[in-house]
Amino acid sequence: MKEFSIIGKDVPRTDAIVKARGAAAYTDDMKLPGMLHGRILRSPLPHALIKNIDTSKAASLPGVKCVVTAEDTPKIKYGNWRLFPETQDEYPLAIDKVRFIGDEVAAVAAIDKDIAEEALELIDVEYEELPAVFDVDIAMKSEAPVLHDYCPTNISVNRKIKYGDVEKGFAESDYVREDTFTVHGVSHAYLEPCSALAQVDLDGRITIWTSTQVPYIVQCLLASTLGMRENDIRVIKPFVGGGFGGKMELRTWEFCAALMAKRTGRPVKFTLSREEEFLAGRRRHPMKLHSKIGFKKDGTIVAKDLKIQLDGGAYNAMGPTATFLCGNFGAMLYRYPNYRFHGQHIYTNKPPASAMRGFGAPQSLYATEIQMNIAAEDLGIDPIDIRLKNAQVSGDKIPDVATISSCGFVESIQRVAEMSGWKEKRNSLKLGQGIGIGCYSFISGGVFNWFNTQYPFSAAEVRVFSDGTAHLLTMAADIGQGSDTVLKQILAEELGLTMEDIRMTSADTAMTPQGDLGSWGSRVTLMAGNAVVNAAKKIKEELFGAVSAHHNLNVIHEIECKNGRVQAKTRPDYGLSFGEAVALVQKANRGEPLVARGSYTPRGKGLVTPAFGFGAQVAEVEVDKETGLVKVKEMWTAHDCGTVINPRSVEGQLAGSIQMGLGYALSEQFVMDGGKTLNANFADYKMPTAMDMPLSHVTHVDTYENEGPMGAKECGEGLASPTAPAISDAVYHATGYRCKDLPITPEKILEHVEKTEDVGLESRKTLHCDLEPEPYKIG
Amino acid sequence: MRLPKFEYFTPKTLNEALALLKEQGEGAYIMAGGTDIVVKMLHGRLRPKSVIALQEIDGINKISFSPQEGLTIGATARIVNILSHPDILQYYPALTDAVKVMANIEVRNMGTVVGNLCNAAPSADTAPPLITMGSVVVLTSLEGERRLSLDEFFKGPGITAMNQGEIMTSVFVPLPQPRSGGSYKRISARCGVDIAPASAGTMAVFRDEICSDVKLVLGAVAPIPLRAYRTENLLRGKQWTHELIQDAGYEAAEESMPISDCRASAEWRKKMVAVLTRRTLVEAYERSKKN
Amino acid sequence: MKHRINFKVNGDEYSLAVEPWKTLNEALREDLNLTGTKLGCGTGDCGACTVIVDGKSVSSCLTLAVSVDGKSVTTVEGLAPSGDELHPIQEAFVKTGAIQCGFCTAGMEMAALHLLNHNPSPNEAEIRAGLSGHLCRCTGYSQIVEAISVAAETMKNSQSEEEEQ
Repeated sequence: MKEFSIIGKDVPRTDAIVKARGAAAYTDDMKLPGMLHGRILRSPLPHALIKNIDTSKAASLPGVKCVVTAEDTPKIKYGNWRLFPETQDEYPLAIDKVRFIGDEVAAVAAIDKDIAEEALELIDVEYEELPAVFDVDIAMKSEAPVLHDYCPTNISVNRKIKYGDVEKGFAESDYVREDTFTVHGVSHAYLEPCSALAQVDLDGRITIWTSTQVPYIVQCLLASTLGMRENDIRVIKPFVGGGFGGKMELRTWEFCAALMAKRTGRPVKFTLSREEEFLAGRRRHPMKLHSKIGFKKDGTIVAKDLKIQLDGGAYNAMGPTATFLCGNFGAMLYRYPNYRFHGQHIYTNKPPASAMRGFGAPQSLYATEIQMNIAAEDLGIDPIDIRLKNAQVSGDKIPDVATISSCGFVESIQRVAEMSGWKEKRNSLKLGQGIGIGCYSFISGGVFNWFNTQYPFSAAEVRVFSDGTAHLLTMAADIGQGSDTVLKQILAEELGLTMEDIRMTSADTAMTPQGDLGSWGSRVTLMAGNAVVNAAKKIKEELFGAVSAHHNLNVIHEIECKNGRVQAKTRPDYGLSFGEAVALVQKANRGEPLVARGSYTPRGKGLVTPAFGFGAQVAEVEVDKETGLVKVKEMWTAHDCGTVINPRSVEGQLAGSIQMGLGYALSEQFVMDGGKTLNANFADYKMPTAMDMPLSHVTHVDTYENEGPMGAKECGEGLASPTAPAISDAVYHATGYRCKDLPITPEKILEHVEKTEDVGLESRKTLHCDLEPEPYKIG
Repeated sequence: MRLPKFEYFTPKTLNEALALLKEQGEGAYIMAGGTDIVVKMLHGRLRPKSVIALQEIDGINKISFSPQEGLTIGATARIVNILSHPDILQYYPALTDAVKVMANIEVRNMGTVVGNLCNAAPSADTAPPLITMGSVVVLTSLEGERRLSLDEFFKGPGITAMNQGEIMTSVFVPLPQPRSGGSYKRISARCGVDIAPASAGTMAVFRDEICSDVKLVLGAVAPIPLRAYRTENLLRGKQWTHELIQDAGYEAAEESMPISDCRASAEWRKKMVAVLTRRTLVEAYERSKKN
Repeated sequence: MKHRINFKVNGDEYSLAVEPWKTLNEALREDLNLTGTKLGCGTGDCGACTVIVDGKSVSSCLTLAVSVDGKSVTTVEGLAPSGDELHPIQEAFVKTGAIQCGFCTAGMEMAALHLLNHNPSPNEAEIRAGLSGHLCRCTGYSQIVEAISVAAETMKNSQSEEEEQ
């Protein structure tokens, strides 16, 4: 374990004070002189041809300054998978056809919000309704309605992975089982509704302030969709009120704000309502997962065959990545000597699903973990033991995908079992009470360049000054997770400075160094962190040279930046203050400021990620047998995120993940009637409140990730996965109800309890792992 | 998600309010705390021509109680004030049960009991306990005052027995009978910020171990807060036993008429009616021992 | 027709002409440029817009601006005594890590103020109940609950110090 002075300390977030005072400006807080207010007209039908749009009445309403439809746009498609242009299937405003309720049809900009609202009602759209499809199984049939002409099968992405010999693996297995799981869509439910404000500035450049996780992606796609050059767009990310994957694409309101600012010569702002967010917003993919798995009698996994259908909704959005990652997550966590995956991304007439915290892992690992528990029970092995037997360890190779570097998975399982009193509780809890486990592995950023960026994946610029300060510039996007604080900590540690010595500019595409792919895939700490370290090392080389020369040091001396000084490691008296050292370098360069650029691009790291996070979680629940309501009482988590850079932030990520996981397991869902969302508000979209949260305990398993900055790797997304399977397993332990169809509702539990009232106790007995195992089922 | 345009009035006296209400005619709506009417307007379910706010009228925000006469809750008395009222907790604990779980603190600070009744949602939390307590609403118009049993007030979702030109100025709750007990319970998939998919309120009077009288009202399982007469008949005059309570639960479930919507299915709601009925009966019996 | 309203916000007198359908949230954010108060849902379900009106926490998105005529409003901007100092509630939110994206923070702090004004020593369950109308997607609430109990301690201690003096 390395010694650090700032890394691993509870440094308060650099933006905490300004947020606590209510002084942090989010996009909708901003106002510019002459600003117009924009609103979007959305389709009321799930699938229809647009026969005609008449905007004349709206345009002539006093106070309306601009009305646009697709006819006013360059009609260029966009999508995040730039590397494969055929996956780019979306226009900013619908052309000829709408594909879901909420699809964007037109936009207005007016001098105030009331007029903009009134103008929307004056736009006449003539639709010809088409048959619509809401279910993946039906969408895949040959007679199904087709959403996109280019894709007559409605299957927009096929992804296959194969290694080993799955059929041979099953033949060699003692126990093979097949299960089908369905998981539902949920909302990111970030508290800040999306907002964008655009202004045309000098040279016709458009500056857009927007609530986004991906300033660079928005810059590039906005430029291409408007038919402009990249440098004609400047994206600035103000404070962002959460994203969780829901703000990682170019979106219609960003496009319309820019286009309408150009057409009117006035700033234009769009802010979505919560209702729009729920009705038409992105969401986590609903999926059908068919998993076949083979084990040896002793619990060793031999083979797995996984087929997944992702319900993508009306457009691809980030669905190709989710399809790709589901297959990878299916092969993670445990050792699968033979593995086959087939993922299909399917169009339906529903709001598009896209990236959401975990990005395929919560769905894929739900199937993995529940099936693991079923198998453990059938094989008469404790769920902890069967996991330990198959757990991935450091050095394991996933063919074509990655080699696991640091890995604290085994220790996580052991620690969580110990903390929760697993063995005892698993055998002694009363009927109606239960304990269950769920585990996860997750990536620390992706290595597959689907965006086809022409720049490094992350970059940093460090400028140092003779007054002892440093200025860090990066395009990394702090969306509330605290990456600005973490990157500052990394730089302060590297340069031997304090947090107060560092100034920072981030996420402005005109000011911060190209490039950065944004905040997703838990990539920022590792990738932007490495870029910062890389830049800092270049600065240090210069400073070391100056100090060495100044003190006429023997070449064998190691020099360090520490406590605000640049000094010989074994003779700290041979050194200078940081500022003095900077001044020397600057003098030597005839006044040129000392600036360095660093970058990080993963190379030779396989197809998925440079480093994996791991962890295990145990949940204890109580189920009301009469109502079916589940109370999650307590949770224990042991996880491996490498070096913990900021403990409070890591714990905050964990607690937030539990809230999201709890909602995913028990209470959150889009209730839909055909293509219409019935619960488009927070009263009926049931996100857990402070009163619903369980008591939580956490242990960080100590590992050091060589590929990460100061040994760090992901901690924000992996934890989105274990909570639902842990709760689900605990509910099974409590009631005998095995949920293969999320969410776990009181109705499903009651139905099960009523069916098995008499055999309840009997089925419970098989959970006791010291009992005689059932005979092995073959086939 | 924007409020429609409307005219706004803040009369200073009740008479002024009643005159305005008549003058504005159809399309005029009364606002007490605003938590329901504003949400309805935001969702486009209500487009009033004018809104008449009662907040500046003196004397109608009072909660008065005497052990001789009972409880009167004025039109603009806030839910938060019911919650913190010691006499209500002592004499009408089922009402405290109801306001404790209503919406959230901010809404309780703004909203009123009378508004909750006038909004006439089938899930209105205060309706079941107030009906079981035999409450009477006071409806005032320029023609004078009329009193109506709360039991006869609800006519459908958002529909009441109030006539155009009337304002509910107060609700009167009689004193509980000796050896009576009340209870209100609801189901919620989430602890706070919830609209219950099913609820039940009970008031029962006991003579020795006999249930001499009982009222049971079910929330959110019919177009109005539903008096469960058949279940009441089943209970009335019977020896208080575990079996009786079980049967009452089944009967109430039979009697309920829930629909399936985004909050729950009809089948589960029926099951919950049985559970809630039993649980409120048990608690009502326990509480009756103290009276 | 616009109505003239006179009201106090954070101790300052304001006079505004507002349309009746304008909410207090819009008046604060758009007319007074007090954008610390957020709008998370517009239907009173998330708590992000909470302000204190005459001593009681309310949803500013459900409060008509016309209805605060003659009243006194406190927003998050009115919490800190000066530019260098923070209110004990803010201080505790900063120290405990209770702030991530920060969008729920103002509402949470106002809920905490209302709670602590009415119950200076809340236990954990009471704090959680006090936040029941406030949604947060980042923190899982644990550090917010911790912050409020830390703030309660600080506020009690400073109160007893004042009393001793």
